[in-house]
Amino acid sequence: MSAWLPRLQRLITRVEEILMALLLGGMILLAGSQIMLRNLFDSGLVWADPVLRILVLWIALFGAIAATREHRHLRIDLISHTLSQKTQDWLAKIHDLFSALVCLTIGWHAARFVYVEWQEGSTLFSNVPAWLGELIIPVGFILMGLRFLLNIPLKPLRDQAA
Amino acid sequence: MIITLGLILLAISGAPLFVVIGAMALWGFYQSDIDLSIVAIEFFRLAETPVLMAIPLFTFAGYLLSEGRAPYRLVRLTQALLGWMPGGMAFVALVACALFTAFTGASGVTIVALGALLYPALQQAGYRNNFSLGLVTTSGSLGLLFAPALPLILYAVVAQQLGLGGAISVDDMFLAGVLPGLLMLGILMAYALYASRHIPLTRFSSREAWDAVRDAAWEIPLPILLLFGIYSGYFAISEAAAVTVLYVLIAEVFVHREIPLRRLPGLMRESMLLVGGILVILGLSLASTNYIIDADVPGALFNWLHERVHDPLTFLILLNLFLLVLGTLLDIFSALVLMVPLLLPVAIQYGVDPVHLGIIFLANMQIGYFTPPVGMNLFIASYRFDKPIMTIYRATLPWFLLLLGAVLIITYWPSLSLTLTGRH
Repeated sequence: MSAWLPRLQRLITRVEEILMALLLGGMILLAGSQIMLRNLFDSGLVWADPVLRILVLWIALFGAIAATREHRHLRIDLISHTLSQKTQDWLAKIHDLFSALVCLTIGWHAARFVYVEWQEGSTLFSNVPAWLGELIIPVGFILMGLRFLLNIPLKPLRDQAA
Repeated sequence: MIITLGLILLAISGAPLFVVIGAMALWGFYQSDIDLSIVAIEFFRLAETPVLMAIPLFTFAGYLLSEGRAPYRLVRLTQALLGWMPGGMAFVALVACALFTAFTGASGVTIVALGALLYPALQQAGYRNNFSLGLVTTSGSLGLLFAPALPLILYAVVAQQLGLGGAISVDDMFLAGVLPGLLMLGILMAYALYASRHIPLTRFSSREAWDAVRDAAWEIPLPILLLFGIYSGYFAISEAAAVTVLYVLIAEVFVHREIPLRRLPGLMRESMLLVGGILVILGLSLASTNYIIDADVPGALFNWLHERVHDPLTFLILLNLFLLVLGTLLDIFSALVLMVPLLLPVAIQYGVDPVHLGIIFLANMQIGYFTPPVGMNLFIASYRFDKPIMTIYRATLPWFLLLLGAVLIITYWPSLSLTLTGRH
């Protein structure tokens, strides 16, 4: 196995770190300045609250995408330790396929929803279009779906490399 | 029916929970001929619930606090202030763990961050090995009922979404948790006092106390500022969370300089992995809950149950048993999001106050963390302290029984939870 896979993994992790730092750092700074403005100057930014709420949505989905990659989603695991390695590998493939189908279905219908919002020209606040904030829902679920799909052939490779 | 069974099978065989919940919602809406983009519309409600901002912020603050030497300073401080009392070192462990868990949201991190400091300190102070082991394992989830623990916030959010008349606010939950939390702490302290009767006392050193206070000078104001801010209503929950993060960032990164700046993006990503996992479950469960309510599943559940269980008391006993098992199988966040929409409407029919139900739920989950044989913290402790799991079972048993007693008191004495909220 050549070294491209671990290198790619590190690169993706780095990109995720930067995006997270931007989103969470932005949230912390924006929320902080909002509190300062309110208490010291009795004012505030009108756009801050809707942007903060959208940031929660984006952080949720980016976090979920990262969790998908690292196999860190919350799950109930009652029986896997009683199964043989071979059965576990098969079960993992079934889970990945099922997860991919569900995520892609949600992603597809989310894309339809965002498309309708775009056509109707709904807005988030002043003249910022609503679809901009909502876009992360289809993007996030489709990325997670593709990731689950990739896991099916990739996982044995990764185990070999490890 | 077959689909439902299949989904349950997928869930218990270890498929990601958010996927199972998503599938449940998709299937439900598909059967009722509702356009499936409703799932995305419901999911978007994550961005319409301002208090949710507190979840990423408090989680990140918890990660920051665990990363530097704040746990060490917390233990030193409580030791200097409480260590001289009979049972002192055990009090130190209980109080430090409760505080730490309240701030970090009970994800097993307390055992990892504080256990390594407290376990040797307890043994050094002369406590029996099993006593010390049981104490640190049990304390890993103690403090769940104190503000600003995430499960309290999450319960209020989930309960609000159900729209069952009578608002349930995060502030209610914060107030309701205080006395039950103190009850648990008090019972464990009494046991520690009893267990330490053969241990010689150490003298109080005002010098060490002063040094410890100075050492923790930056951390001490945080709980005071936060609790005062929340309970006085000066800060909204999400504002309190933002203030906490900013404060902890300044204290740990810039004043103590224990966390290098370049470590921050990694920590952010690490903590948001957990947040993403929780919120994506919450988001999809908003959709599945919507379906469950439309289909009146709780109503059917109540009718079925009511034919068999007439009085509220029996209902509460069954509820306790059910939640105890649930707490060992599911992490607290998934359990909240999955079960509260089903249980709350039923419990209300039996005359249980929603806020009281929340406290019962969380108190059960708290001991579910170390209920043998599969409570998560049992395994974390076994791994962390390198002890066989059977030893951990034996060591935690007396603590488990004591807290089980506390849970029963909390369940059958509603006023304990409701007095401070003024809800009776």
